[in-house]
Amino acid sequence: MIEGVATNPYLTLPVTVEKITVENDARDLKTFRLAFRHKADRKGFRHECGQFAMLSAPGAGECPVGIASSPTDEEYVEFTVKRYPTGVVTSALHSLEEGDRIGVRGPYGNGFPLAAMEGMNIVIVGGGFAFTTLRATIRYLLHERSRPRFKKITAIYGARSPGELLYKEELMAWQGSPDMDMHVTVDKGDKTWTGREGFVPTVLGEVKPGAANAVALVCGPPAMLRFTMKPLLDLGFPPNHIITSLERRMSCGIGKCGRCSIGGQYVCKDGPVFTYEQIMQLSGGQF
Amino acid sequence: MHDAQTKLRETAKDLLVSAKVDLVLGFQNGSLPLRTRPCFARNAADAGRLVWNRLCTNNLAVYLPRLFEKPANVRGPWTPPKVAVVAKGCDARSIMGLVKEHQVIRENVVIIAMPCQGMISLRKAEAAGASARTSKLDGDDLVAQACLECIQPSVPGANIIIDGPSRSAASDRFQRVKDFEALTAAERWQQFVAQVSKCIRCYACRQACPNCYCKTCFIDQTKPSWAGVGDDPTDLLLFHIGRVFHQAGRCVECDACVRACPVGIDLRLFTQKLVKDVEELFGYVPGTSLEEAPPLSTYRPDDSECFITDP
Amino acid sequence: MTLGAIKKEHLGQLVAAVGAHGGFYGPVLRDNDVCLDQVQPSDTLVLDYANFTLPPKGLFFPRSEVIATHGADGMVETPLPTGKAVLFGVRPCDAMSLTYLDKVFMEAQFADPYYRARRERTLTIALACRDPAATCFCTSVAGSPSGQGGADILAVDIGDALVLESATPAGEAFLAEYRKLLGRPSDNQVKARDAQVAQAVRKVSSIGSDGVTARLQASSESAAWEELAERCLGCGVCTFLCPTCHCFGLYDEEVGPQGRRVRAQDACVFPAFTLEASGHNPRTRQGLRMRHRVMHKFCYTAQSFGDIFCVGCGRCIVNCPANMDIRETLTEVPP
Repeated sequence: MIEGVATNPYLTLPVTVEKITVENDARDLKTFRLAFRHKADRKGFRHECGQFAMLSAPGAGECPVGIASSPTDEEYVEFTVKRYPTGVVTSALHSLEEGDRIGVRGPYGNGFPLAAMEGMNIVIVGGGFAFTTLRATIRYLLHERSRPRFKKITAIYGARSPGELLYKEELMAWQGSPDMDMHVTVDKGDKTWTGREGFVPTVLGEVKPGAANAVALVCGPPAMLRFTMKPLLDLGFPPNHIITSLERRMSCGIGKCGRCSIGGQYVCKDGPVFTYEQIMQLSGGQF
Repeated sequence: MHDAQTKLRETAKDLLVSAKVDLVLGFQNGSLPLRTRPCFARNAADAGRLVWNRLCTNNLAVYLPRLFEKPANVRGPWTPPKVAVVAKGCDARSIMGLVKEHQVIRENVVIIAMPCQGMISLRKAEAAGASARTSKLDGDDLVAQACLECIQPSVPGANIIIDGPSRSAASDRFQRVKDFEALTAAERWQQFVAQVSKCIRCYACRQACPNCYCKTCFIDQTKPSWAGVGDDPTDLLLFHIGRVFHQAGRCVECDACVRACPVGIDLRLFTQKLVKDVEELFGYVPGTSLEEAPPLSTYRPDDSECFITDP
Repeated sequence: MTLGAIKKEHLGQLVAAVGAHGGFYGPVLRDNDVCLDQVQPSDTLVLDYANFTLPPKGLFFPRSEVIATHGADGMVETPLPTGKAVLFGVRPCDAMSLTYLDKVFMEAQFADPYYRARRERTLTIALACRDPAATCFCTSVAGSPSGQGGADILAVDIGDALVLESATPAGEAFLAEYRKLLGRPSDNQVKARDAQVAQAVRKVSSIGSDGVTARLQASSESAAWEELAERCLGCGVCTFLCPTCHCFGLYDEEVGPQGRRVRAQDACVFPAFTLEASGHNPRTRQGLRMRHRVMHKFCYTAQSFGDIFCVGCGRCIVNCPANMDIRETLTEVPP
């Protein structure tokens, strides 16, 4: 927890928007690089890959957003936010400019169990804009201090079209990296697209990452998650080695307000990271 | 009264068994003394549970709009149900209003007109104490104010009529409103604020009202947001003013909001004020006919403008 | 355990004595209704009520409150209440509800500072029930009309006087501090109290809710939920009047130049409660929402805290405009 402000978990920490990157052609996905206005706050904000924080735009309110930067990115924290026309906070965040002041509260949730995954092969499967915390994870895994602790890293990431892929420069770099095996796919390419076409679950079946001594981290829209479970199970991944992250509306982020409850678990506090085994118990496998 | 109940059960059974309707909306005994509860009768056995007495207070028209809405989990074509409603005068007036507002398909509704002697007010009965509860159930002593002031105990648009003793229409029902109007603007405001300040925003008044069928109530809208969520007086006032004014030319004075309110806000005074205004300004009484257009959705050059010039 | 007694006509002196050091909250008439409120010098304590319409949770977790304002460089929290307070006259079921709310709001990792400040400054004197209502079922959910759970002191009405018994060290200290007003009860008074306690518990009916947690769990996919919910109007009476329902929302409002953060009670029975920005809603139907509310109270809290979050006060039964009755739900929902 954050030192100094731990006494009041409902108050946000003031941050400045340092940099805004428009990620996609539809311009409804933006990455916000935030700098803490007080040094002590940055020191206190120690997150793990897979955790989220509550972002607040002045006067609009808060919403939970997965942390897209790695704990190894010590200078800043990044969040990629999708704007929904019906979403009050996401719309307000998208109208921000560099230099504006907003608020951050967190980090919250359990994060991916990376410590328990040391010495194992890691399979990362992502779809659409749910790739954000997986991006944080890849950045972390590839960091020179962490890379030696993990074995083979395989990642499959897909989006609807080339223009909808997030973090394009990093994807290029990762595809050329000897430290990992990166597969990028789009549902449908365009004139300039020379890469792979096909849905993520299909590509997963083609890449066939081995299940021995491996863990799969899967994030994507509910439909993709549903269709990805079968190929993973077919490849031999046991349900407790398939790890995913759930999304629900949240307000407090700390397991009190009741919004994100699923079958007695709070996505904000007990999750957002759950194994497929847990999800089958909680909601009968519904994401 | 008991004859009416027997006839009602037979009628409901016939309608269901002959498949003339899919559902009879009526009343059955509740789990508490002096309470009935809505009954969704779908077969002959269910019809046998229907009751008719002076405790059938709920306005069942509130359930109709959702019955005529295609359920979210149904894919493909969907046939709206045929529904019979056990109706008092006020319930039927609500149905008329909902038909005019295209929330209810008139051809799919069978209005079973019940003889109404006025319904018992739970609050009056509780205040009277246990002994009065049984001895005074027949007279007018414990009848709800709304029923004492009812101008239409007979059921408009009836498809089936169940006979029985019924009360006669009240003549002057606006005495409390007149007293209220006689106060100064400051006093009226004070009274309104005092009542509304009790609100806990449970929205029972809204949910119990057949007229409140909006998919998203203005008070729940977030983009834009019209009011804060707290109990700041301005936010509470905004909700209640918004709710009451949305009832202008639509409220049938059934008292569902009053009965539902757990903290006893005098909602009737405020809705009735609007009812009186509409009646005086436009000569319109909602829910009495299917033909007459609602005053707030029509324009006549000689429409009164006094609400602008002389509020 | 310490005993005390006070004649009813001397309660005013106790209110004045305690009020000199802090707030005294108790049953008083407001707009012809017995409510829990801060007792004013002009008030007389009311002692003959079944229970209050609104539960005491609002004194610790208000319907809404401004928790902070947005300052130029971060948020400024609303000052927390200080000084001592005495809460007198809550029924044992409602006192019990506070222990459940404590588990949510005062857990170690993320304690709620507003709730905690109010709880920690408050000494609770529960008033045992003489005439439980027909809708009371406290004895079916780990309570009793003279239960001490959540109370520092339990008071029993024996007609002309109240007999008090401490249930916590804080209660003991209170009895010692106000010993002049709260003398020791006579043997006869103690006997009268014991008789009162014994007769009251016989008046509470059992609803046969043994094994309810397991039974409901097995019913989670039952069609009965949708059938039950058909009658439900979808209002928030059951949740806002429930002493243990604690769902809420945090909202940022722009009021004046600074803006403020408001925390307000909310209800899981409202569709907007779980509606996401994308328009997706995991609990679209009233049946799902009703199931969630019941399961939360009778299954989920039993798993996470070891307690069923229902105290059997009957408010949801008495006040439901469609006569939904939790007692039936608990005993009749088939798997």
